[in-house]
Amino acid sequence: MTEEKYDTVIVGGGVSGLGAAIYAGRLTMKTAVIAEQMGGTIILTNDISNYPGFKQIDGMGLANKIKEHAKEYNVEMIDKKVTKIEKCGDGCFKVFTKDDFLHTKTVIFATGTKWRKLNVPGEKEFSGNGVHYCGLCDGVMYKDKIIGIAGGGDSAAKEALLLAEYGKKVYLIFRKDKIRAEPINFRKIMENKKIELIPNTNVVEIKGGKSVNGVVFDKAYKDSKEFELDALFIDIGHIPLSNLAKEIGVEINEKGEVKIDRESKTNLEGFFAAGDVADNVFKQAITGVAEGVIAAHSVYEHINKE
Amino acid sequence: MSEVKIYSTPTCPWCIKAKEFMKENNVEFKDFDVSTDQKAAHEMMEKSGQSGVPVIDIDGTILVGYDVERIKKLLNIGN
Repeated sequence: MTEEKYDTVIVGGGVSGLGAAIYAGRLTMKTAVIAEQMGGTIILTNDISNYPGFKQIDGMGLANKIKEHAKEYNVEMIDKKVTKIEKCGDGCFKVFTKDDFLHTKTVIFATGTKWRKLNVPGEKEFSGNGVHYCGLCDGVMYKDKIIGIAGGGDSAAKEALLLAEYGKKVYLIFRKDKIRAEPINFRKIMENKKIELIPNTNVVEIKGGKSVNGVVFDKAYKDSKEFELDALFIDIGHIPLSNLAKEIGVEINEKGEVKIDRESKTNLEGFFAAGDVADNVFKQAITGVAEGVIAAHSVYEHINKE
Repeated sequence: MSEVKIYSTPTCPWCIKAKEFMKENNVEFKDFDVSTDQKAAHEMMEKSGQSGVPVIDIDGTILVGYDVERIKKLLNIGN
């Protein structure tokens, strides 16, 4: 695969990258998608009810459908971790894996994000033993247990609704005075008798023996800062995976997101970006896919002006 | 032939991906649903020291999570 030159290499296999791949393939560009984990973080979502055309679908189902669609257009799918991207002298790029590289005219950078950690004592120690980041994966291990969720966004709200199917009680712990859930999810939270909200509160320590048995809050809740629970799921937002772009001089904003314009262009000629890693305000599957599609079209324009 | 055990839950996406990978590469494996099989859940925790899934046992080497590059290496699957 080393010397063959691609029209575009899409770095990242989430729905934004895969959406870009459909259009790049349809525009008959020689295209590869390279990702450590095809599907991206959306596969950890059990309920997507806001993607046009699907009243309800799970994240893995949606990602698989977009991936299969892209394959219709001879897009190459490579399951490998990208370790470095370099600009070549001829204006092209080299996208490196541990033991090889792809030579490409352009890059569509759609690496997405990773979970933000709480960075409190006990988080690392109990990771996988009561501290978890994926309700869909590990929630079932806490049937009839007391579950806490750190986070107050829509993602945390959806996690609470999922975990309430397993736990006997679910506490949503968040630092602001209100949760920032979509109104439809907020209503479901308020109607669910298993879910209780603990606002204006931060988890400052996670405690336990062999596994988690409680947390410590920064302020008293029901007269105590110590709070018993069996598991804490952490859902406090995401960190953009933009380092590979930053290393070759792509402009990054103060949040670590790649700065793009309305054509998904970055400041670096031939380097485009899309999805959760980019500096969009509203991060949704549909907006990420749209950015990927725009990036593919911009790549086409870029190549054909050469 | 390698002996492969996958400790999983039915809803875990990474578990599904791990099992799909084994099937696509014609690797035989035993699947244990730790959400219903207490003995397997205990075994998984003994082996991995934690309760997150998937846990993959390849000839006694324990992988926590779905790490496709390490799986390929352990199973000698080329790229």
